[in-house]
Amino acid sequence: MSAYLISVLTEGAIFGIMALGLNVIWGWSGDFDLAYYGYIAIGAYMTLVLTIGPAVAPAHYILGLQLPYPVAAVIAVVTAMAVGLIVGLIALRHLRGIYFSIVTLGAVYVMYVVAGQYVPLFDGYNGLSGLFDPMGDYFGFDYQSYQYFFLGLSLVLFVLVFLLMWRISGSRFGMALRTLREDERAAAAFGRDIYRLKLKGYVLGAGLGGFAGALFAAYLSAFNPSAWSPVEVIVLYSAVLVGGRGNIWGVALGVLIMGVLVQESTRFLPQLPGLGQLNTLHPQVLLAVRGAVIGLVLVLFLRFRPQGLLPERRYVDREPTLEVTARTA
Amino acid sequence: MHEALLTLGFGIVTASILALSAVAFTLEYAVTNVANVSHGEILTVGAYAAYLVHQRTGSAIAAAIAAAIAGGLVALAMHSAVIGPFIRFGASPTVVFIATLGVSFVLQNVLVIFFGAANVAYTLDPGAPQHIGPFLLTPLDIEIVVSAIAITAALFLIISRTKFGKALRAVSQNRELARVTGINATRVAGATFFLAGLVAGYAGFILAESVGSFNPYFGFGFFLITLTAAVAGGLGKAFGTLVGAVMVGLILEFAGGYISASYNLAIAFAILAVVILVRPRGLFTNARRTVFE
Amino acid sequence: MSATATTPALEVRGLTKHFGGVYAVDGCSFEAPLGQVTGVIGPNGAGKSTAIDLISGFKLPDKGTVLFKGRAIEGLSPHHISRLGLIRTFQSPREWPGLTVLENVVMARWDAGREGFLRGVVGLGRAQRERSADELTKAREILDEFGLAALRNERAGNLSGGQKRLVEFARIRMAQPQLVILDEPMGGVNPVLGERMAVAIEGFIASGTSVIVVEHNLPFIERVTEHVIVMAQGTVIAEGPFETLRSNQDVVDAYLGEMVKQ
Repeated sequence: MSAYLISVLTEGAIFGIMALGLNVIWGWSGDFDLAYYGYIAIGAYMTLVLTIGPAVAPAHYILGLQLPYPVAAVIAVVTAMAVGLIVGLIALRHLRGIYFSIVTLGAVYVMYVVAGQYVPLFDGYNGLSGLFDPMGDYFGFDYQSYQYFFLGLSLVLFVLVFLLMWRISGSRFGMALRTLREDERAAAAFGRDIYRLKLKGYVLGAGLGGFAGALFAAYLSAFNPSAWSPVEVIVLYSAVLVGGRGNIWGVALGVLIMGVLVQESTRFLPQLPGLGQLNTLHPQVLLAVRGAVIGLVLVLFLRFRPQGLLPERRYVDREPTLEVTARTA
Repeated sequence: MHEALLTLGFGIVTASILALSAVAFTLEYAVTNVANVSHGEILTVGAYAAYLVHQRTGSAIAAAIAAAIAGGLVALAMHSAVIGPFIRFGASPTVVFIATLGVSFVLQNVLVIFFGAANVAYTLDPGAPQHIGPFLLTPLDIEIVVSAIAITAALFLIISRTKFGKALRAVSQNRELARVTGINATRVAGATFFLAGLVAGYAGFILAESVGSFNPYFGFGFFLITLTAAVAGGLGKAFGTLVGAVMVGLILEFAGGYISASYNLAIAFAILAVVILVRPRGLFTNARRTVFE
Repeated sequence: MSATATTPALEVRGLTKHFGGVYAVDGCSFEAPLGQVTGVIGPNGAGKSTAIDLISGFKLPDKGTVLFKGRAIEGLSPHHISRLGLIRTFQSPREWPGLTVLENVVMARWDAGREGFLRGVVGLGRAQRERSADELTKAREILDEFGLAALRNERAGNLSGGQKRLVEFARIRMAQPQLVILDEPMGGVNPVLGERMAVAIEGFIASGTSVIVVEHNLPFIERVTEHVIVMAQGTVIAEGPFETLRSNQDVVDAYLGEMVKQ
C-alpha cells in the first residue's frame, strides 16, 4: 500500500467519525449546527496540550502535560462535550431554525478568534505541534509500520463508532431524536422533554467531534488556526447530505464520495490548456476547485435530492396476521 | 481569510459601510424571509470589479459604478438561480439558508480560482486627515461617510415613497396576500435583490478602500458583522437594521479601543448571542420568542 | 386532598392570557368531569385554542389555575403535563411526517425507562425486547381497529388529511392518557370519517380516557356529548345540554355575531 493510499484512508476514517457525529445533530435532531467544527478543534487542541509537554519559550500554552495519548484523548472528548453542553444550553433553549444556526456560528467564531488570538491558551496563531506518533514507542513501531498501525487504529475506531451509531439509530433514543426533527410540538405533546433530548443529542455529537479531533491531532501531529476554519463544516454537511441525512450507511457513503473521491480526484485534474498561469498556482487552485465543487454539490442536492443517495430507511412491518386484514380491508 | 477582518479597526467609517451592507441584507431578508449567507460575496465581487475597472480606467467613479453594477448582477443571479427557485419549490427558510451558505462557499472558491487567495492591495489617495468634531478623518473617509449616508437616505426614500417601495413592503409583510392583490412577488424580490446588490457592491468597494486590501474571503468576514447588526436591529426591518448597524459599529469601536480590535468578531458575536437570546426579533420590538410562543 | 369520584378530570379557574392589549383568554373557568366527553364550542376568536395551549403548557397563563385531577398543573412544561396523563392534539394534525404510521403510533407512548441515551446503547435486554414486542403488538391492534393496517408502513406525511386525523386518534389510544383535549378534530374531515371518529371517542371513554372536544362542527358535538361549554371573547358564557343552549340568548348572540361578520 502506498503512503498516499494510507493517508487517504486514514483521513477518510477520521472524516467518517466527524460526519457520524454531525449526523446525530443534523441528521437525527434536525438542527443545522455551525459550531460543529469548533468541537473538532477543541478535541485536537486539548489532545496536544495534554501530550506534548510544557511550553518552551517563546511558545505559550495551557497545561503542557505529558499524558499517555489515550488518556489525553478521553479528556479532550470530555472537554469538547462540556463546551458543547454550554453552547447547547444557550442555543437550544429557545432557538430554532436560522436563529440557532446564527448563534452557533457566533459560538464557533468566538472559539476561532480566541484560539487564534489569545496566545496563553493554545499559543495563538502559531498553534501547537510536537505530537509524534503517539503510542508508537510503546508498541515499538518504526516509522513505516506506524503508518499502518495508525490507519488500522482509525479504521477500527470508525467501525466502533459506526456500530455505536447503528445501535442508537434503531433505539428509542434515536427514534425520540427523530420525533424532534419531524415535529417538535407533537414530540412535546407526547411527553418528550425536547430541551433535554436535544441537549443529549447535541453533546453526543460534540463528543464525537472532539473524538475525531483527538485522532486528527495525532494524525497531523500539530494543530493551529490555519489547520481549521469554521466553514470547513460545509464539507461535512455535504457528505451527510449527499449520502443520506439520518442514515448512517448513507453518511458512510457520503464520506466516501465527498471526503475521499471529490477530495482526491481534484488532485488529478488535467493541466488545463490555456490556463497557463492558473496551473502554476496548482495546490491553491486545486483546493479552490474542490471547495467550489463541494459547495455546488451541496446546493444541487438540497434542491434536487434532499434525502440523499441512500434515504433514511424506515422500519417496515411484515407482521403476517395484519397482512390478511390489510388485504380484506 | 480573517486577517483583513481581524485587523479591521472600527470607527465611523466602517460603521457607515456596515449600515449600507446591513440595510441591503435586511432588504433581501424582507422580501424572501431568507437570511442570505452569500450576501458577503456581493461585497467581495464589488471590490474585485472596482479594482479591475480602476486598473483599466484609472477612474474611481467608474470603479464605484462597476462595483455597484457587479454587486447588483451577482445579487440578482443569487435570487433568480438559487433563492427564488428554492422558495418556489417550497423549501423551508433553514434549507435556503444552507443553500446560500453553499453559494457563498462556491463564490469564494471561484474567486480564488480566478484571482488567487492572496490579499490585493487597493487604496485611493486618502488626502490629509482633518479634525471633524471628535473624529480625525481624511477627505476619502468623508467621501465614504457622506456617500453612505446619501445612499441610505435614497434607499429609504425608495422604500417609503415609490410604487416599487410599496410593493416591496407588501411582499415583505405578506407574500401570499401581495400575490393575491396582483403583485408579482418573485419580480419584486428580484428587483429588491438587484437594488440591495447595487448598495452592497458599492459597500464592498468602499470597504476595500477603508481596509486598504481585500481577498476572496473578505466579504464573508464582514458578513458576520453585518448579520450581527441586522439581527440586533431586527431582520427584515430596514430602519431597525440601520440603528442596529450604527450601534454595533460604535460598540465595536469602543471595544476595539479598550480590548483589542482582534477580538472584534468575537465581541460582535457575543452581542449577537445576547440579543438573540433576549430579543430574538430585534432590540426594537417587544416580541419575545420561545420555542412554542 | 382526596381524589374522590367527584374530583373532575379538569378544573379551570380564572384562566387569563393577554397578548399586547388583547385578552385572548379572560377569566375562563369550567370543569370537565371524569369519564365523560365535554364539548367546547364558540365562535372564531373565542380563545378556545389559546385556552388549550394554556392548559397543556404550550403557553404560560398570566393568571388562573388549572387542576388536572385535583393537581395544579399551570406553569408546568408541556412534556410534564403530558407525562401526568393529559394529552392534547392540534388544530392541524401534527404527525411526524417522515416516520411511518406504525412508528408514529409506537412513539406516541413515552417510555421513561427506554428513551435514555445509555439504554439506546446497552439496553435491549430480554425484558426490553419483550416490552417493545408488546408495544408493537398493541400498536398493530390499534391500527387494525382504526382501519389503518394497510397503511402502517406508509410515511405519515403522505397520508390524506382525514387519514392523518385517524393516525392522531390511534396515537392517543396508544398513549392512553387520562384526559385528552381534541382541538377541532373534524377540521377537513368528511362526514363518513366523522362517524368513525365519534365511535373512536366512545372508545376513548371505554378505555378510561376522559375527553374534551373543542369543535366548530355543532352536529358532531351533538353526536358525541350532552355536556357543552360555550366560549366567547375569552370566557365561558354558558354551559349545559344542547337543548337549553339553543334557547340561550347569549349563545345565540355570540354565534349570530359571527354569522353577521361572515
